[in-house]
Amino acid sequence: MARLLEVKDLKVQFKTREGPVHAVDGVTFHLDAGETLGIVGESGSGKSVTSLSILRLLPMPPAQLVNGTIIYQDKDLADLPESEMRAVRGREIAMIFQDPMTSLNPVLNIESQLIEPLQLHLNMSKNEARQRAIELLEAVGIPDAPRRLRAYPHQFSGGMRQRVMIAIAIAANPKLLIADEPTTALDVTVQAQILELIARLRRDLGTAVILITHDLGVVAGVTDRIIVMYAGKIAEEASTDELFANPRHPYTLGLLASIPHLDEAVTEDLQTIPGSPPDQLHPIAGCPFQPRCPFVLEKCKTYPPYMAVGPNHRAACWVDVTDPAEQERASKRGFIPFRQIRHGFAGESSPAGMSNA
Amino acid sequence: MRRYLIRRVVQAVFMLFVMSIVFFTLLHLIPGGPDAVIGANNPHITPIQRAAIRHRFGLDQPVPIQYLSWLGNALHGDFGISFSNSLPVAQELAARIPATLELFLTALGFALIMAILLGVTAAVKQYSITDYLITVLSYIGISMPVFWFALLLQELFGVQLGLLPVFGRTAADTTSFTNLEIFEDYVVHLILPAIVLSLLFIATWSRFLRSSMLEVIKQDYIRTARMKGLGARQVFFRHALRNALIPLVTVVAISFGGIAGGAIITETIFAWPGLGRLFLVAVNFPDYPTLLAYLLFGAASVIFFNLVADILYGVIDPRIRYS
Amino acid sequence: MATVQSDQLLTQFQPNEITPELARKRRSQFRIIFDRFTRNKVAVAGFVVLAVLLVAAVFAPIITGQTSTYDPPNDPNLSIALSGPIPGHPLGTDDLGRDELARMLFGGRVSLAVGILTALLTILIAVTVGSLAGYYGGWVDMVMMRVTDAFLSVPLLVVLFVLARTFSDGSVPSIVILIAAFEWPSVARVVRGEFLGLKEREFLLAARTLGANDLRLMVRHILPNAAGPIIVAATLVVGDAIITESVLSFFSFGVRPPTSSWGSMLNNSRDFISSDPLLLYLPGIAILITVLCFNLMGDGLRDALDPYMTER
Repeated sequence: MARLLEVKDLKVQFKTREGPVHAVDGVTFHLDAGETLGIVGESGSGKSVTSLSILRLLPMPPAQLVNGTIIYQDKDLADLPESEMRAVRGREIAMIFQDPMTSLNPVLNIESQLIEPLQLHLNMSKNEARQRAIELLEAVGIPDAPRRLRAYPHQFSGGMRQRVMIAIAIAANPKLLIADEPTTALDVTVQAQILELIARLRRDLGTAVILITHDLGVVAGVTDRIIVMYAGKIAEEASTDELFANPRHPYTLGLLASIPHLDEAVTEDLQTIPGSPPDQLHPIAGCPFQPRCPFVLEKCKTYPPYMAVGPNHRAACWVDVTDPAEQERASKRGFIPFRQIRHGFAGESSPAGMSNA
Repeated sequence: MRRYLIRRVVQAVFMLFVMSIVFFTLLHLIPGGPDAVIGANNPHITPIQRAAIRHRFGLDQPVPIQYLSWLGNALHGDFGISFSNSLPVAQELAARIPATLELFLTALGFALIMAILLGVTAAVKQYSITDYLITVLSYIGISMPVFWFALLLQELFGVQLGLLPVFGRTAADTTSFTNLEIFEDYVVHLILPAIVLSLLFIATWSRFLRSSMLEVIKQDYIRTARMKGLGARQVFFRHALRNALIPLVTVVAISFGGIAGGAIITETIFAWPGLGRLFLVAVNFPDYPTLLAYLLFGAASVIFFNLVADILYGVIDPRIRYS
Repeated sequence: MATVQSDQLLTQFQPNEITPELARKRRSQFRIIFDRFTRNKVAVAGFVVLAVLLVAAVFAPIITGQTSTYDPPNDPNLSIALSGPIPGHPLGTDDLGRDELARMLFGGRVSLAVGILTALLTILIAVTVGSLAGYYGGWVDMVMMRVTDAFLSVPLLVVLFVLARTFSDGSVPSIVILIAAFEWPSVARVVRGEFLGLKEREFLLAARTLGANDLRLMVRHILPNAAGPIIVAATLVVGDAIITESVLSFFSFGVRPPTSSWGSMLNNSRDFISSDPLLLYLPGIAILITVLCFNLMGDGLRDALDPYMTER
């Protein structure tokens, strides 16, 4: 597959009175055409900032792109003039945001918001654009599209608004769709529908997708590959199956343990990762996960190299968490060896071959 | 919406009714009230003449009775006879409204255009020299006594430069003027008073719009608009300005309510034959029937335009539906 | 990011029971506000200018005695009327030959006194009404807010002119009462809002269970927490009142001769604009600068007190 996007050593900081906040701190990853990549991490891990920097949508100041390249096809988006960047936004790369309640302009009707990218990027006439807009609304599953075109955002439910937002994003047939926590603000039942819609559109349109979420359960059935981020850095990267089958970073272990399962007895406690998210204003030396990590060692004071630990699998950790001796050591610090995951997650993918227990 | 409207109108009418009582009582009980005015300018008046005048204006009745008869007449549009020139007060007021409206509408229209221009510019170029300059100017506009500004303009453009007329609404004699000249004459007479009257509005509205724009620009839907690849102009004017203008519309509507008090200073200094001048003459006389009518007119316009502002807000913002 | 925000939140939500630790925290909170204010150079400049003006007004008799041939400002001397700047009269004289510098200083006394006294009286009324309405709620709130609405529906200048013509004797106190009578409603709303927000907070519940009565709760516990917005409002009222007084005096409804304020000096100067424009410029500039400084200081204070203010 052709390489679509290559992000290298991306560093983004926020200037504050107390000093710079290292929101994204040396992130490197790539994406092929048509591929679906999941970026997972808790809030503040830098996943949203990473995605917003690709389209340069962060407010600058206070945000500042300190370092790195963002090669999209053959252009470096990190240093493209704003006028050329506008031709990329919406046309080449489009984005769906977290909160559909606030992402649509309240004083413009759906039609005017939906035909903008069509007129802008595809040079459609107003009538052509209106026709296409109806098709788009139907494609994202909004019934009675011709009439709903005239409606205002507040007349839609949250799930419906997110569908409209998706229609806007795919309007100009972008090659890459970034979905930044597209389901977080929605009801559980609606979440699944939206994810399914994204997956279907990806299949039908052949669009590459970056799906950003704090919930590993969300990405399980949808993505080809997953990046786990912590404190502005990539902790682990692997194909989806490999990551679930063979997680190698203690933070990933924690994330996996905190996914609720429908088939588990309700009496079992859901595990959480103890401690609080890192302070990126005053980053500690070495691995940022140290204070919360049951596997922590003295040498964690030096940041671990980003090592290949398997085929297409890399992790930034000194410890081999699959080693029973290490697990024994960690269990004294409260580590509960995580349960095997036998029945898969939200989607159809069913990771197999669990080795530890 | 309808129920909300009815409730607001009933409230407004009630408020006005209460105010009429307060104003009436105030004006009739204060030392130097209507009674004291009779004959004040004429020392040779006899007690019999005095009693006749008191009777003619109904001042020999108890105050509540006076109020009720005043109210009965007022409800029919009769606000009594002016003390100063014995003409019907309602007629006098009505005759002055066009001149004041002309000045007020011109000033507010000009102010709105300037405020949008300055406010948007300041917001788009936040923290630039232009932004600071606009901020400084609006601070000065807010802090400047309007009458002093008027005197300065009069002195500069009228006296020193001789460019613009500084008094009145038209030239003294327009009989030989062509239609175009009459129009020109109106316009040149309007310029200075309109600028003076618009100063405070420009200063406050542009600051208001600036902060409203800055607030809107932070919203998620602006990010969505940028995500589509729209240029700065479209993002600002199509997506941001519309939202930022919604709160300003109510501020503008409320400003209309100040028509009774707003033009007093400007009209006096530029000898503009409007409501403000009528009022000032009435205060100095003091002409109580006119004052009472004027106070109520002022309160009514404030209350009415506050109501208009509320309703407009609901009409303009598709999100708001009163229940 | 997250930690920065939570720090800012902490500075806002601090309880009010005076333990030594909290007293220290509160001092540091004052310190933060003070630091933020002093970082705002424009607001500090406004403060400094005002301080100078105040000193000049207070020591007007001494200053005039030092810098010019001191005639009591109300003593006419027609032989030097409208002189323009001459030795002994650095700013010239007015139409009656009175020293303009002395008149500016003594006029400033009146203007500043009206401004500051009005703000104090306004706060007194506004805090009384606003705190009762906000604290007791219910029908007390209903009645008081309707009265406030009524005052806000009055066309300000119209009523002021009428009342000044009938009630006022042209003395400073009567003008202060008049202006304050129409300045308080908007401030009362601010106070009411603060009280509404604060009365449900935990520290109050704690104080009440400890047996504090209503008055004590309002004065000792809520009021100090609402002080910030009230001080800001007061600062802005001063500027407003100075302008209003100047308008009243300009239309001869304000202070009566021989007492003069900057506003009445402007009224007086109208007839002599062409012979001595200084008489027109000086009082106007004085009002402009004074009001400007109060506005800048008020906005600076508001920004310093706003925990969500973004840094420039």
